[in-house]
Amino acid sequence: MPPVPLASAFRDLEGALLRRRFQQLDPVLRLEIAAIAALIAAFVGWQLRIPLDGIARAGGPGAAARALALRLLALALVAAIAAGARYARRLRGPDRPEPAWLALPIPPPAIARHLAWEARRIVPWALVPALGALAAAVGLVPAPLLLLIAAAFASLLVPAGHAGCAIALLLASPATAAAGGLELSRPHPIERPLALGPPEARSVRLPRVRWRREAPWRALWRKDLLLALRNPPVQARGRSLIVVMALSALVWRLPVDPAFAHLAAFALALTAGALLAGWLIELAGADPFATLRGLPLGAAPVWGARAAWALTGAGALAAFQVLARPALAPPALAVFLAWTAGAALALGLYGAQLGITLHPRADHARRVLGVSLAVAVAASLMIPLLGWVLLLAALVHSAIGLRRWSAPAGS
Amino acid sequence: MLEVAGLTRSYGALVALDGVSLEARGGEITGLLGANGAGKSTLLRTVAGLQPPDAGRIRIAGVDLLERPIEAKRRLGYAAEEPDFYEELSAAETLAFLAAVRGLDPAAARDRAHALLERMELDARADEPVRSYSHGMRKKLSFVAAILHRPALLLCDEALEGFDAAAAIAARAELRVLADAGSAVLFSSHVTETIERLCDRAIILHRGRITRELGRADWGGVAPGTSPLERVFLEIAGSPTRAEAG
Repeated sequence: MPPVPLASAFRDLEGALLRRRFQQLDPVLRLEIAAIAALIAAFVGWQLRIPLDGIARAGGPGAAARALALRLLALALVAAIAAGARYARRLRGPDRPEPAWLALPIPPPAIARHLAWEARRIVPWALVPALGALAAAVGLVPAPLLLLIAAAFASLLVPAGHAGCAIALLLASPATAAAGGLELSRPHPIERPLALGPPEARSVRLPRVRWRREAPWRALWRKDLLLALRNPPVQARGRSLIVVMALSALVWRLPVDPAFAHLAAFALALTAGALLAGWLIELAGADPFATLRGLPLGAAPVWGARAAWALTGAGALAAFQVLARPALAPPALAVFLAWTAGAALALGLYGAQLGITLHPRADHARRVLGVSLAVAVAASLMIPLLGWVLLLAALVHSAIGLRRWSAPAGS
Repeated sequence: MLEVAGLTRSYGALVALDGVSLEARGGEITGLLGANGAGKSTLLRTVAGLQPPDAGRIRIAGVDLLERPIEAKRRLGYAAEEPDFYEELSAAETLAFLAAVRGLDPAAARDRAHALLERMELDARADEPVRSYSHGMRKKLSFVAAILHRPALLLCDEALEGFDAAAAIAARAELRVLADAGSAVLFSSHVTETIERLCDRAIILHRGRITRELGRADWGGVAPGTSPLERVFLEIAGSPTRAEAG
């Protein structure tokens, strides 16, 4: 049998990977993702329709087409940046690719192309808001022009993703070379990060352990505390959470209009709640599957440990706010604290429950959290408070899934 | 101690377990012998409650795994072929966590963990994070974690693979002690010599089906314990802390 050309071998591999990943998605989750995508497209369409209509009335169809094209161009730019950021994080992060890639008889550009393909998988998601934007322009922009803009946008996405990854590779390569002190003669930019491989596991002596008799949920909580202090991805998300919590308090001390400070503190506190949810998902993702699921643990202690963290996070947020001494009357401050801490607790519990019910797929949990938050924000912009109703419904829905925890995984 | 009846598990079109029925009795080390891909790991992972069967029944010390999974898992220890751990915790922290979750007496669990880690020659590095461990050290830690609570049923999936000779001998001795105390051990391997040397009974799994069951007498009574080569090795590298295999 003649050897398969390299490009087609990679194409086959990538096609097989895509098929396998799609098959691994639960059918209900596929439907949920499709429904959420449709909602996002509808929201974008709804938000763009009125401004485009105004532009069309003021400047004619040509002006509306230009406005649409500019928005789609910005969307393509965002997609390129997202792909580049994913690629850079992959090349520089703790789970960077193994040097074993270099042992294969494959030219480095082909390796770089394949590794970038993984990062570029985020790019097609730009089609979701783009469809909403295009739908918003129907009737305002002539149909042939609309089709032309759609085709131009679709064809722009591919090079945009490539460009984002190419820039990320150039940026990531010298950084990793400096970190490792590697000297190669004219290496391809992908060779430096690959040659470094994953970070060296340093052998350090940890403090002597205390053997305690304690409730399982406390043992889990204590284990989570150690992970929060030592696991790099959990640490990174924890740092972001603390920074945003601190900012939500500091904004009260800025020399700005109190109403603006109130609004900014509220928005930052809600962002901290979302970050708390993400942190709890990361924590759940750090639980090794066979080790945790092989233990005689029901859902209650696992949920209890994570709920304690959600409560701690909400309490910390409230403490930050109180320490900042906001310029609010006591009743208004009480409402503010109850609202923000309650929201942070609900969001934290939602993240904890997603992490538990979708364990060990933290990536799925992150995705579901992201789209849920996007839908909630969109819903609240359409009808005030509707987003909270949706979030509470999602919280209850994820709580129902907890009862499956004790059963053999996947049943 | 372990009763499996009509266990079936498929991955798409691939039938990994096809109506498997077997029993592992207390006081015995039962070998599960099969080629790569025979279904050994699938069987052990299913019995450990890590994946659901498509059909069949699993009872562990009289407790139905599918109906009362938490009670069943209390009676179970599982040493995985590819163990996964909390990479940032040390071996001692990992074992202390497992002991707390299993509700073991802290002082007794600490003493037993120290003794087991010493026998596996992990004691000197017990306070280092698991991420700095070699494959063999991880396997040893997985073995210690699986037997720490003296389970009624111990599942070992290629458990001694990756062990150095001295640790393998110590581990075999621990398995024998556990079986003599009344536990059932289901020990899977694709290496016939390991089964011959260690097990009282052997079950052969082929393409997801039990094809034969044999007793020690059926394979000619290979002497249990150390082999001549192992004895030479121990003369050179042996450690006074080693327990001889029974």
